[in-house]
Amino acid sequence: MTDTQFKQDQEFFMDPQRCIGCHACEMACAECETNGQIPMIHVDYVDRYTTVQTSVQVCMHCEDPTCAKVCPADAITRDEFGVVHTAKTDRCIACANCVMACPFGVPKKIETTQLMMKCNLCYDRTSAGRKPMCATVCPSGALWYGTREKMRELRPNSTPVNHFQFGMQSVKTKVNIMMPKGATKLVVD
Amino acid sequence: MLSTLNPVALLTATLATLALVASIFVGSRNLANFDAALVPYLFGCIFACFGVAYRYSVWLQRPPTWRYFVRGWQLLFSGRALVHGWELIKSFAVDFVGQRFIRNRGRVRGIGHMLMAGGCILAFGVTFPLVFGWIHFGLRPGGIDTYELYTFGFKTMEFPLHGWFAELIFNALNWAAILVIAGVVLLIRRRLTHAGQIAIQTFEGDWLPLLLLLAISVTGLGITLDYRFMRGEAHQFMAITHAITVILFLVWLPFGKFYHIIQRPAQLGVAVYRRAGTDGPQAVCPHTGEPFTSKMHTDDLKHVTKQLGFDYTLAGGSSHLDLSPQGKRAALAKAHLAARQESGAFFG
Amino acid sequence: MATLPIPAGQIIADFGPHKNYPPPEGFPGRNEPDAVVETHCCFCGMQCGIKLLVKDNRVVGFEPWEEFPYNQGRLCPKGVQRYLQNNHPDRLLHPVERVEGSGFRRIDWDRAMERTVSEIQRIQSQYGRDAFAMLSGVSLTNEKGYLAGKFARVALKTKNLDYNGRLCMVSAGAGNKKAFGLDRASNDFSDLAHAEVVMICGSNVSETFPTLIHWIWQARDNGAKLVVVDPRLTPVARTADLHLPIRPGRDSALYGAILHQLVKNDWLDHDFIDNHTSGVEAAVEAVENYDLDWAENVTGIPRKKIMLAAEWWGKAATSFLLHARGIEHHTKGVENVSSCINLVLATGRIGKPYCGYATITGQGNGQGGREHGHKCDQLPGNRDIENPEHRRYISDVWGIEERDLPGKGLTAYELIEAIHRGEIKGLLSICFNPVVSLPNNNFVREALEKLEFYVNIDFFLSETARHADIVLAGSLQEEEEGTVTTSEGRVVRIRQAVTPPGEARTDTEILLEIARRLGAGKHFSFNNSEEIFNELRVASKGGTADYFGITYEKIEQNMGVFWPCPSLDHPGTPRLWEDRKFKTPDGRAHFVPVPYHDPMEITDAEYPVILTTGRVVSQYLSGTQTRRIGKLVDQYPEPLLEIHPALAAKYGIANREIVRLVSRRGTAEFPAQLVETIREDTVFVPYHWAGAQSINQLTSGHLDPVSKIPEFKVSAVRLEPTGRRAPVPVQDPIQATGGSPAHPGPKPPQPHAFTGIGK
Repeated sequence: MTDTQFKQDQEFFMDPQRCIGCHACEMACAECETNGQIPMIHVDYVDRYTTVQTSVQVCMHCEDPTCAKVCPADAITRDEFGVVHTAKTDRCIACANCVMACPFGVPKKIETTQLMMKCNLCYDRTSAGRKPMCATVCPSGALWYGTREKMRELRPNSTPVNHFQFGMQSVKTKVNIMMPKGATKLVVD
Repeated sequence: MLSTLNPVALLTATLATLALVASIFVGSRNLANFDAALVPYLFGCIFACFGVAYRYSVWLQRPPTWRYFVRGWQLLFSGRALVHGWELIKSFAVDFVGQRFIRNRGRVRGIGHMLMAGGCILAFGVTFPLVFGWIHFGLRPGGIDTYELYTFGFKTMEFPLHGWFAELIFNALNWAAILVIAGVVLLIRRRLTHAGQIAIQTFEGDWLPLLLLLAISVTGLGITLDYRFMRGEAHQFMAITHAITVILFLVWLPFGKFYHIIQRPAQLGVAVYRRAGTDGPQAVCPHTGEPFTSKMHTDDLKHVTKQLGFDYTLAGGSSHLDLSPQGKRAALAKAHLAARQESGAFFG
Repeated sequence: MATLPIPAGQIIADFGPHKNYPPPEGFPGRNEPDAVVETHCCFCGMQCGIKLLVKDNRVVGFEPWEEFPYNQGRLCPKGVQRYLQNNHPDRLLHPVERVEGSGFRRIDWDRAMERTVSEIQRIQSQYGRDAFAMLSGVSLTNEKGYLAGKFARVALKTKNLDYNGRLCMVSAGAGNKKAFGLDRASNDFSDLAHAEVVMICGSNVSETFPTLIHWIWQARDNGAKLVVVDPRLTPVARTADLHLPIRPGRDSALYGAILHQLVKNDWLDHDFIDNHTSGVEAAVEAVENYDLDWAENVTGIPRKKIMLAAEWWGKAATSFLLHARGIEHHTKGVENVSSCINLVLATGRIGKPYCGYATITGQGNGQGGREHGHKCDQLPGNRDIENPEHRRYISDVWGIEERDLPGKGLTAYELIEAIHRGEIKGLLSICFNPVVSLPNNNFVREALEKLEFYVNIDFFLSETARHADIVLAGSLQEEEEGTVTTSEGRVVRIRQAVTPPGEARTDTEILLEIARRLGAGKHFSFNNSEEIFNELRVASKGGTADYFGITYEKIEQNMGVFWPCPSLDHPGTPRLWEDRKFKTPDGRAHFVPVPYHDPMEITDAEYPVILTTGRVVSQYLSGTQTRRIGKLVDQYPEPLLEIHPALAAKYGIANREIVRLVSRRGTAEFPAQLVETIREDTVFVPYHWAGAQSINQLTSGHLDPVSKIPEFKVSAVRLEPTGRRAPVPVQDPIQATGGSPAHPGPKPPQPHAFTGIGK
């Protein structure tokens, strides 16, 4: 982490409506060195009975992460680049507070190892100046990693938004969601 | 500076430290049984005690920790004390003694940690009582072949000087050092070769603790080797470097990675909490229609998040936290779909 | 020959399919590979670029290849997991021989070859040369496909060679040849980017060609309208501007009705039609009665939607039409294709930037494999085996007498029928799993059981290979050098990353050795794949699929070259027809009149429901490879019967209830999956599975009269609910679930369980 080449002009953008539910991201995530064959990304059918719509969810890397705050063991930290890291293995006591409190439903508790794990923005790759695995393989652009300028050029009629409103709670994140042009936040209520 | 200190923690730490000092006085019979050569270690221990107690207290005051702490004791002494007590014992055996969850993270990793933890606990078990003067050894008066062990000044046992028990007990720290070195070597090897670890490890957080343990063990073993094979010629050097490394360890205990040794027992409380949760009413996700955790857990979390300044109350009065993780992900995807639909275009 | 030597269950215990997973922390050596090999995915026709990580002659992982222009690192789950077919416990490491009552035993190569050759010679001398047939496949490289064609005609001297492309793109090929005189996608996919209308006809691109989605979504980002024609609301159709949920088997009615509207509203490019096409009058006349009412009645699509599609297509300045198996797997597959091409020609939107038309070729080398003499009626360069001039040219290249070159043989399904009738006695097959992939596969199995001698070349013991007398251990895609031609017509390089393990040999070595032993050695003196390719270049020279100007070096330098490429200084042709010089005899593009026909099987009181089949994203074709890769299996572990809740309600079928499906050919049981995303008169089952789980027990062997493609996409069935609830498929507890739910308490089976992830 000391001699990192993390590119701070690169950002993560997601757009669930582009997702085709193929699970390439999930398979690729499991190839990431930091999480040993366990995928950290979530792809689910929203409701297969009525639709083929899928949700795709990486960690949004909140500016004030609920997961870290509710952790009784101080196991979750946010670094100088805004990356919220997976639970420290020595600290985590597997209480699942983070799993249940994360407004995006991201952290995963691994029963056998008594450990919470979550997406760390492919730190092994991003800290070496590369793109996260999921955003590299995603065939639909539901997950995309690069500069804001490039994104503006590619999708001129969408606006990246990093502000979410869950009822009374406003949450700001490092990861952006692509919204209709002019939107300022995504309201989940 | 002073204003940033936590008064409750300050009080707790002071009381804990005073209690330790008192126990040293009492245990060593007013320092009668105290080994003066161990004074530097003693000061290290006292500092560590203050630091650990302070940090522990600050930690417990955090809302989520406090909630678990209180719940843990409540449950242990609830009407189902037997069930919960049994859960505690089971978790202690499997997770603490057996360290199964660490072995599940990787075989070599599990073995390495087990060796290291075993060595450390053995070393603590010998060192602390000796330093505090709680135990001491002496020749049985009138002979040269039988040793006596005194605990808190009371004679607890005697054993022959050249017997296997004496060998075992006088070399305990050497055994501990060998265990720790073996464990450290395994874990260092992993840190050098595992790409995932290489990506996220830090010197201060991950390497320093290993190197410190290695230094303590090597210098400790060095004292014996020097005495056995070098006629004590390097005793001064070995003794001083060993003391320095051990004191560094003690001073760093409340701050660095080693603090997890103090913190880990919380896992036992979590085991009890989960057992109680499983036995009690479940939280059913309105999206999936399935139970996903205990009602107690979601209720506690709603309370704790509010204490922390989060308010996930939704317009209808329910809470976003009533949803399971999958339900939350679906809620987000649906909200996004609605926003896109409303705008008239999915793309662009 | 005969039935299986031992019950299938025992064969499976030894030879799989077993699920392969990487170890929890990945294969050792992944971080410090000996080599990083830039090659292509072995699966579909997109042929996405991918880098394989090699350590100690094993493929241990992958890296996205972001520089490759088509997919730029993007992959689907099959691509991500493709490396797990290497290092697989089921891999055949040596030849095996069938032993009655005990299964398959190891034999040495010499014995295997000796027996193979003596049986070929015995059958051919006893019953005639054509009584020994060969079946091949288009997951093979161009070199191997070319070699198979030459091997069958020159070494086996049989006319009966055909290939599994017969189940894939032959309808498109025939339709393209009729219209353009050449069979290739007219554009590379980058022409999608600024098309105003993208029309996808019968293709679940989102599951079958996921990486193509990027280009379609890019078009939409630039304002394109997307029209998807599919009986199901697939992920690509979900957000489409217009989804036309067509009744299976009625495709040409829809496209005929659209053509009718183009004419009626004069949304035509008269200049293009007058100067560059022929046959428009007959084509228009054929659809003159296909008004909206008629079309709504036949296709089941509301007339407003049909009109809207016609209007968007008619008024657009640029457009791209894509179609795939959804319109091609029909007894009128060629007509369906022609009816689509008519829309392209009527509006003149071809051979210009962002104006395109393409069939999305399905198999790995579905494009290249159908060009160089792999088919029963074809010679290299997409030449015609019945054209005397073509025969002379190829005979010269091969150094044989023209009279010794066999003529046109039987197509794949006809060949199986001939085996069943006892006319063909011996078979050599490679890269083909007809017991799973052909329709009415109980019939196929019976046919294989009648063979006197059957030799199979494969890397796994497939369901078909279980019927073989000898199985020769061949090679995986990453074990040989070569080239393939992508769906876009781009010729790309396949790299040998590792050598075949154990005693396994490359497919090329095996074919060359058999050829030598058959006494044809002088025609098969190739030392490596590049020498084969160089002969292919010469053989294709002057043909419509002209590869003469393409060399290995040129491909490597340019990351692929588009054919036709007639000379060494030619840059290749990404976009066809810019010169308006079509390859038809008159140099014009041909309209083809398409009067509407019903599918061969229509529903009746006894079989009242339409069955259609297709794929899921995690599996590839007959599953020989993908049913052996753990995570791909776990993603969709068993074939499900997709059924609309309204139809299910008629039969009282509940979700996950086992339903017996009965057609005129067979019966099979599947768990029901109730979804509102399918037509109410249609059920869908994916076809990747074998044995009792194979939906191809029910599909029909009715063939298109021109292309001879079977009508997989329409069968009439009836539903019989069993009242039994399907058990939740067992998954590897550690590997498959990854994370388990935080709550350990009792958990009812979840409707979303097959994503394989706990939370």
